[in-house]
Amino acid sequence: MSAIIEIKELTKYYGSRKAVANLDLTVEEGEIFGFVGPNGAGKTSTIRIMATLLQSSKGDILVAGNSVRTNPRGVRSAIGYMPDYFGVYNDMLVWEYLDFFAACYKIPPSARSGLINDLLELVDLGHRKDDPVEGLSRGMKQRLSIARTLIHDPQVLILDEPASGLDPRARVEIRGLMVQLSEMGKTIFFSTHILADVAEICNSVGIIEAGELVASGSLEELQKVLVPQQEIQLTLLSKGEEAEALLKAMPGVSEVQVLNGNNAEGRVRLTFGFSGDDSAISGILAALVGAGIPVLHFNSDTRDMEEVFMRATKGLVS
Amino acid sequence: MTDITGTPVLEEKRTAKPSLWQRIAQNPVVLKELRGRMRGGRAFILLTIYLILASAVVALVFLGFYASSTNNVYSSANVRQALGKTVFFSVAGMELLMICFIAPALTAGAISSERERQTYDLLRTTLLSARSLVFGKLISSLSFLWLLLFAAVPLLSLAYLFGGIAIEEVFIALLILFVSSIFFSAVGIFYSSFMRRTLAPTVLAYATAIIIVFGIPILILMTLGLFSNAFAYPNTPYNRVLELVMFAGGWLLITVNPLGTGLVTELVLMNNQSIFYTNISLPNGGNFLVISPWMPFTVFYLVFSVILVVLSVHFVRRVEQ
Repeated sequence: MSAIIEIKELTKYYGSRKAVANLDLTVEEGEIFGFVGPNGAGKTSTIRIMATLLQSSKGDILVAGNSVRTNPRGVRSAIGYMPDYFGVYNDMLVWEYLDFFAACYKIPPSARSGLINDLLELVDLGHRKDDPVEGLSRGMKQRLSIARTLIHDPQVLILDEPASGLDPRARVEIRGLMVQLSEMGKTIFFSTHILADVAEICNSVGIIEAGELVASGSLEELQKVLVPQQEIQLTLLSKGEEAEALLKAMPGVSEVQVLNGNNAEGRVRLTFGFSGDDSAISGILAALVGAGIPVLHFNSDTRDMEEVFMRATKGLVS
Repeated sequence: MTDITGTPVLEEKRTAKPSLWQRIAQNPVVLKELRGRMRGGRAFILLTIYLILASAVVALVFLGFYASSTNNVYSSANVRQALGKTVFFSVAGMELLMICFIAPALTAGAISSERERQTYDLLRTTLLSARSLVFGKLISSLSFLWLLLFAAVPLLSLAYLFGGIAIEEVFIALLILFVSSIFFSAVGIFYSSFMRRTLAPTVLAYATAIIIVFGIPILILMTLGLFSNAFAYPNTPYNRVLELVMFAGGWLLITVNPLGTGLVTELVLMNNQSIFYTNISLPNGGNFLVISPWMPFTVFYLVFSVILVVLSVHFVRRVEQ
């Protein structure tokens, strides 16, 4: 895979305030990249520069090889941009909305009708084709907005908080659509506060705070670096002491604790810290079972995105 | 056809550059704006109200002549011609007022309303150029204005029933109206191109129209009133220079005011029987051949319009810093 988005030493000042500070980031083609950060971190500024709506103070962004500084038109033809608000044209029908933007992208009139029908089917709005845009629900407007970003078949979708303000069902639908688009070969760069969405669908994550990139990489990489140790809970039917001794002898295991000792039923609950990958965790379970220890439950606390985010950020505001 | 290695290559299809009409018809903003403007009953209600008002003005003029004439209005050629002229200038004057007040309403929010609706960023990230956006807004506004102007042409033609109007007067009146519509539309779009909210460009566009259409004539009359005594004094070099300066300044102000241009062009036509020039004799001496104001008016207004449109494109093209 090659890099389709390259952010190089991107800096943005608003007066004396530094909104984005020397940001370096690369997104590979076909990835779903989640850009995460608190309010005022610089996410929207970065995205607006990438969408050629804002000039950087220093640095550059290359999208599909086109510089936002020297070839903004090339960037616009390679991207589909969806801001965190839905601009409404009064008295416009759903198909007219897409037809207008298709014309803005110089798609010939003969090709528009079929294209619009296909896009509306993709975002599940085919049944609302002749309805006024302003009458759609928020979730439908977001889906229509995504259809608009696809009208010229761009390589990259830039979505600023696509799930913001949506009900849970609409969020799930948008997520599903983003995964579907990624499977179609699109690269998706989106900003969000919703960490669950990032954990669910992203290949790579970038965490920005006070204008600086504090962490980036795949979720697994971030988890290993920022939350190196996870807690594993074990419930055994018996043989608690044997299990404790076996665990203490294993590499990567620390802080083995017996929570309740032998209770009336003979069950034992243990916790221990472990800094290893999933296959090593699986090996621990296999070793316990192989030693004849009756394991009833084996749970690892997921090093979730929230934990990663809290470890990466300091609560600073730019 | 083959390349240098003998491999067949596809010949590129030569596509002709689209004509001006095709470019206008294919401008997405023009199509969108016209669809929205003509949808529903709004446009037709506005057109109907406008034509009712124009018809009422013509009816009032006719009734006024009928009531004040001692003879049957149809029996006197002079009265008929005077009626024809009055009808013509009343309708033309009303159309000019319509342009001054409707053009700002149509265009002052052209670009700023896109910012208010939060659709401006969506447009700027497409392949729609700043020039296409500005021209699209201008053309769609002008289309509606010209629809209103053309709709009133039958009323203007009533003047022919009574006589007193030459075909040159009709052409010049329509030219002044069309050029004014272009200019006042360009003014609205210019203000809209660099302001975020619609209220400020609307106020500025109306203020500009009022100053140009009404303020300039008031200024001319006030100046004439203030300096009228100068022309009563004996012929002195000071008075001659002052007279010349005032004459040149006055002529310039007339040529940037559509009302003044129309009136003075009519005077020139009546006195000199020419639509191109006239001789002016100043009270303190000096005889000048001056061109009829409709020509410099047309040039000035079209040049100003081009400048305003170019500036509008520049502002729209600017990337936020």
